[in-house]
Amino acid sequence: MTRRFDPRTRSTWRWGGALAAMLVVQSLVMTAAFWMLANGSHRRAIEHALGEDCAFFALTPAEERPEELREKLTRDIHRDRFLGLFDARGRLIAGNIARLPTAQPKNRSFVADLAPTELPGKRSDEARVMVCPMPDGTRLLTGIDLDDTEEALQLIWQSLLLGLVPGVLLAVAFGFVAGRRAARQVDTVRRLTQQIVSGDLEQRLPVAPYPDSFGLLCAHINTMLDRLQQLVGDVRGIGDDIAHQMRTPLTRLRARIDRGLRDAADRAAFAAVADQALAEIDTLLGIVSALLRLREMEDHARRSRFAPVDLARLVDDACDLYRPAAEDRGLTLLCSIEPVPPVEGDASLLMEALANLIDNAMKFGPAGGTVHVSVGLLSEGAVVSVAVDGDGIPPADRAFVTQRFYRARADGGGAGLGLSLVKAIADLHAFDLRFADTGSAVSLIVRRSEARASG
Amino acid sequence: MARILLIEDDDGTADEISLELTSSGHGVTRAAALEPARALSTGEPFDLLILDRQLPDGEGLELLSDLRRNGQRTPALVLSALGSLDDRVRGLRAGGDDYLPKPFALVELVARVEALLRRPNDTRATRLIAGPLELDLLAGTATRAGRPLGLLPRELKLLDYMVRRAGQIVTRAMLLRDVWGYSFEPDTNVVDVHLGRLRRKIDGEGETPMIRNVRGQGYILDAPL
Repeated sequence: MTRRFDPRTRSTWRWGGALAAMLVVQSLVMTAAFWMLANGSHRRAIEHALGEDCAFFALTPAEERPEELREKLTRDIHRDRFLGLFDARGRLIAGNIARLPTAQPKNRSFVADLAPTELPGKRSDEARVMVCPMPDGTRLLTGIDLDDTEEALQLIWQSLLLGLVPGVLLAVAFGFVAGRRAARQVDTVRRLTQQIVSGDLEQRLPVAPYPDSFGLLCAHINTMLDRLQQLVGDVRGIGDDIAHQMRTPLTRLRARIDRGLRDAADRAAFAAVADQALAEIDTLLGIVSALLRLREMEDHARRSRFAPVDLARLVDDACDLYRPAAEDRGLTLLCSIEPVPPVEGDASLLMEALANLIDNAMKFGPAGGTVHVSVGLLSEGAVVSVAVDGDGIPPADRAFVTQRFYRARADGGGAGLGLSLVKAIADLHAFDLRFADTGSAVSLIVRRSEARASG
Repeated sequence: MARILLIEDDDGTADEISLELTSSGHGVTRAAALEPARALSTGEPFDLLILDRQLPDGEGLELLSDLRRNGQRTPALVLSALGSLDDRVRGLRAGGDDYLPKPFALVELVARVEALLRRPNDTRATRLIAGPLELDLLAGTATRAGRPLGLLPRELKLLDYMVRRAGQIVTRAMLLRDVWGYSFEPDTNVVDVHLGRLRRKIDGEGETPMIRNVRGQGYILDAPL
């Protein structure tokens, strides 16, 4: 049976392996550097001693050399010195070496295998030696045993290994801990995201007080979840709203048709009922259309259709469109129009927004009042504003009037979607929708930066 | 009487449209999917296509683009539940002559159909005559039986539009779109008020009313010959 590979252990191996490799390389480099430096200095000391021997014996009279040599050897209590005096034919005159090494570079030290005569049990020994010619034609070999150097090298190797074993173990342990920690974080996130996927949108990923990059990622995901939760809430809210808003007129409609079927005595009476029913259905369809348009407005792809719009002309057209209707209601529609730079937008949507504002002003303003529509440049940018006599929307309601289905006054009729639509259109255009602090003016403000950006 | 090909997959909607158009005196052939519609539209000649966008076997606009590529100029009215202006633009770009978002009133549909079937061809004419009405667009004047009507520029434009479509229903949405140049549906009856004023100016004491209101959906200008 093969165990399935757990991808979470990958990080364990990656972290541990990388760290161990780093440690090994680091130790090797350090040891090599130490060895090279130490060995170099040791070799210089040896060469110096060998050179001194050569100089000393060259100055010693020929007949005293063997005696001097033997004396020097007896003084060598460590038994790590090699000395040998050979005649011109290479025969040993005095010393502790059987013969000269075959290759003898002149006047510089070299490493050679010597045959010691006074070290019991040792047939050959490695030493750094120098062969120097004496004035009388004999040759002097002087050398120092390299056993201790080899020992030192061995020691260094041993310490390197002894140091590396716990180091590598530590690295693997670290990798294991780090990998486990990462795996645990991933597990937590996975468990939470599974809960979120299954519908528990309240869950959030844990973020440490001082987050690392993983924590930052979690924080970003949390922000995304906040927005998602809000959107889902909105959608649910809208669904509820729609159900509530439709239920009342549908109930009324049903009752009306029911009564018509039961009570209508003649064709005319039935036609009247049917007409009323049609009007109710149109209202309902109007709500549906308005909701669809609101949704459409939130889809910012519409901006791709933006074209330069002349707000002055728009206001002029709106006034032209609404003046007869206003007059019929005994209202005065006053328009003051100043030229403003063109803005990027959708003329039909902006007209719809303006029409909604004028509609509201006509509906909720006092009888016989004046509706004032104006467009002009103020310090903050181009402003289109609609005002009517009176105080307008009560300040307490202003925060809510742009919410769907909110009606500040129950007597106005309508579904309470007009200002939501205006707000959505303003948002789509990145315009501000502002209610004046005093009076009833509602303004669409094209902030200067926007006007500039649109050229 | 016109021969109309209706491409709509919802049977209920197709029934209603079909009934309404038949009662207006048109012949309706129905198709519920792209493939039969393709076969039908390349077979016999139709005067008008009405096509839904979302069909079981594809997007209605594809059929339209194909037909237009093959040089078919039959006017087309595109229906769609995707009621956004973007879709409208795509519909018109694919070769649709008009676009009607669902839900729509049948009267609106019939009005658009009539408008498409009888597109005003002589759009350059500057003198228009419909019964006793006479419009001089260059001078900006209108008379009924020789009596000057004293119309404002916008009223003249309205009357111009209606005279060119004499005998057809024009709806509020059509008027708002074509006379004012904005496509949206206002809450209040602004267009009705304009029409009311125009009617009062046209129809003098004792004269036969020329503009008729069609059950809350639109208007017809009757031009007795």
